[in-house]
Amino acid sequence: MKKLLIILLLAVVGYFLTVSMSNIKFGANRMGDLSQPKTVGAFYLSKTPGELSVANVITAIVVNYRGFDTLGEVSVLFLAATGLGSILYKKKKKGEHIPTVNKPSSALLQAGSKLIFPAILVLGAYVFIHGHLTPGGGFQGGAIIATGFLLMMMSYKDFTMNHSVITWVESLAGITFASIGLIGLIVDHSFLENFLPIGYINDLISGGIIPLIYVAVGFKVAAELSGVLDTLLSIKEK
Amino acid sequence: MVISPVHYIAVPLLAAFLMPLLAKIHRELTRIVPGLVILYLGYVSVVLMNQVMAHGTIVEVIAGWNAPWGINLVYSPFTGFLASMMTAMAFVIWLYSYRFKKVDSQPALKYFILFMMLVTGTIGIVLTGDIFNFFVFLEITAISSYSLTAFYRDRDGAEAAFKYLLIGSFASAFILIAILLLYTQVGTLNMAQIAVRMHDVPTHMKITILILFLVGLGIEAEMFPLNGWAPDAYSQAPSPVGVTFAALVVKAGVYGLIRIIFTLFDVHGAYEYLIVMGAITLVMAELAAIRQKSLKRMLAYSSIGQMGVVMIAFGIGTNEAVFGAIFLMFNHAVIKGLLFMSGSYLVYNTPNKEIQYLSGYGMKMPLISLFFSLGALAIVGLPPFAGFWSKLYILIAAADNQMIGLIALILGVSIVEIVYYFRVVGRLYFGKPSKGSIMQKPTYGGVIAMSLLAIVILVVGFYPDVITPYIHNAADALLDKAQYIHSVLPNADLSQIQNLK
Amino acid sequence: MDTIDYYQIMSIGVYGSAIGLILIGLYAVLMKKHLTKIVIGLSIIDAGINLLFIAIGYISNGTAPIYSSQGIDLVKTGTPMVDPVPQALVLTAIVIGFGVTAVALSLVIRLYRHHNTARIDQIKSLKW
Repeated sequence: MKKLLIILLLAVVGYFLTVSMSNIKFGANRMGDLSQPKTVGAFYLSKTPGELSVANVITAIVVNYRGFDTLGEVSVLFLAATGLGSILYKKKKKGEHIPTVNKPSSALLQAGSKLIFPAILVLGAYVFIHGHLTPGGGFQGGAIIATGFLLMMMSYKDFTMNHSVITWVESLAGITFASIGLIGLIVDHSFLENFLPIGYINDLISGGIIPLIYVAVGFKVAAELSGVLDTLLSIKEK
Repeated sequence: MVISPVHYIAVPLLAAFLMPLLAKIHRELTRIVPGLVILYLGYVSVVLMNQVMAHGTIVEVIAGWNAPWGINLVYSPFTGFLASMMTAMAFVIWLYSYRFKKVDSQPALKYFILFMMLVTGTIGIVLTGDIFNFFVFLEITAISSYSLTAFYRDRDGAEAAFKYLLIGSFASAFILIAILLLYTQVGTLNMAQIAVRMHDVPTHMKITILILFLVGLGIEAEMFPLNGWAPDAYSQAPSPVGVTFAALVVKAGVYGLIRIIFTLFDVHGAYEYLIVMGAITLVMAELAAIRQKSLKRMLAYSSIGQMGVVMIAFGIGTNEAVFGAIFLMFNHAVIKGLLFMSGSYLVYNTPNKEIQYLSGYGMKMPLISLFFSLGALAIVGLPPFAGFWSKLYILIAAADNQMIGLIALILGVSIVEIVYYFRVVGRLYFGKPSKGSIMQKPTYGGVIAMSLLAIVILVVGFYPDVITPYIHNAADALLDKAQYIHSVLPNADLSQIQNLK
Repeated sequence: MDTIDYYQIMSIGVYGSAIGLILIGLYAVLMKKHLTKIVIGLSIIDAGINLLFIAIGYISNGTAPIYSSQGIDLVKTGTPMVDPVPQALVLTAIVIGFGVTAVALSLVIRLYRHHNTARIDQIKSLKW
């Protein structure tokens, strides 16, 4: 009986979504004319090269036009890390170490992960430093770095994250983001407004505050994701 | 630095990022800093409310991109009133949770970070003028609520939080799909611009999007039948968090619902939908409240019922009704705050928080019982307390619109309310005292917090004029859609805009 | 091959798989008894919505909205760029989805520790 009801519900939701999506033509240009933008998409595409001199329009949107969303997003990550800490809170004895894996992994995996761990870190840093030029950015780069730490946690039994370092990195990165925003508020009367010279498009140093913020976001995301993984992995089984 | 609405968001976030470092300097700082931040926000509220009352709506542009291209914050008399109310309540709740005994045995740092972010999220929901930014703040609120609900490990907090998270995730999925469909139709995310372009959206699409929004936000606003999470979350969360849910989180949900219906869409049936759903919510919640054995669950259901009345009043949609609704939102925050605060001390040590063990507490805990009785008298709407005025305005508005059925319903439900509140009060003062129960001595912060709320209830009850000018302006601002659009987009074509009510 | 037909097939493929993901996730959330599977279901719903977001931003023959050094005058002529806004929104939505999933999993761990089971029908207070 319950099964029947659920299948009926799924059918209704599926029908509802299909009907609404059938009105939205796939691949149609809904942005309109770029030279006289009426939609936000067209506006961002046409203004970004000139006014911000950032090659990657998505980065420009994420960090500048809709930078406020990104500040919220960073706080969501911060909240998730904090929430995890409070939900899984357990008084740790001093010097107690909880291994992240139960069995030590094979020598091959250990040697291999040691080999590629620095490469993963470099790739992650590359992705967030070049966020305004190429696909990627702070979130993607931070996630890549966190996978490197995950690899180390999985292959080494006694690999520990230094929580004090994580706290410092995530706090300082968050403070950097919020303070850059506040400097914009003081200098240009608008929160998160660009106050640095924008440079030339496709240069590494271009786009004013955008690369700065994205590097801070990269550090913050890397620290937070690694912290979350560490919290989830180092839980004592009863 | 000039005071501007973005301080409401930026300052608490900066403080939240700073707090893990401050905790390394001195542990006490983790408790004091949130209070200082909220106190500063109170100062911001005073400055900005004076500006708004004198010069009208303040629109703050973020990142230097004017509406509709960037994100903006709209500080109108309505949103400003709600934000100031939330700040004030947040301060009182902070006083109450300062040195709250059980919070201390757990990581206080995490509690206060989550609490501060919860406050920031709800204020952000109210102030933002961008529909996707609205969603982001909704999620900030939601994630901190989930974590805070599961804060205590000696209760079923995790179960309640998981329930809340499941339903909350559905809500955010619905809202995301609604934003997606809306974006394909209007090509913008700015609320004022959406309102301008809504005229050209095909009707069937409009209704689809509206339904998705109503379902999603209905969950946050505790609308029937999507409020199954609320009583569990209220009763399992730490008491200060329960107060925060009643005073801030639900208000933000209702605000979202109202903003969507009043400003974004111009669909006629939406108002009637609010009345019908509000009435069903009211009846179901009050009937559930009278059956509860646990005091906190009773208060939670009563809170849902009050939200039903608020929805009915907004659904009537005339100026008086909206005035009554905003007044009731204010009263509900204050009175339900007092009830939750005093109630949770009453049932601090009783098994399962049940009402039947409260016999004779009136003599043992005179001050707390007095506060609880005051709250009970005020919330059922007896004169001369604050709750009376809001109920009166809503009833007058209903009478003006010949909605006799609604008047009968609200009055009938009030009798139910009187029955279950006075059952508790009666037991407090006339019940036979039981032996061996341990009284919990309230903290000084808690006593100050409750006294402040009690004073507000009495002052607003005897001199409603201290608050009514603000609420009048708020109601006008909410109903004047063209003015909202004009203040955000000065060059917009307003010829297509019509106020439905 | 006729281009209109091609896009019709594409639209059925992309929209269909997105809606399919949402329905699969919904099924998992409603039918499965194991808490971890429910959390996985929530993630699948998120994935479906994100796919739908990307799909509505697509423009026929569009390229990624990244300017190359020579391509600045592409604004006026040349191949169109896809709508960048949905992609930026999806980035936000993914991060938020991550946060919710992390909190949900930690709740599952707490429930498992407390009740020694992660099945929803064996945890009394989760029934409703």
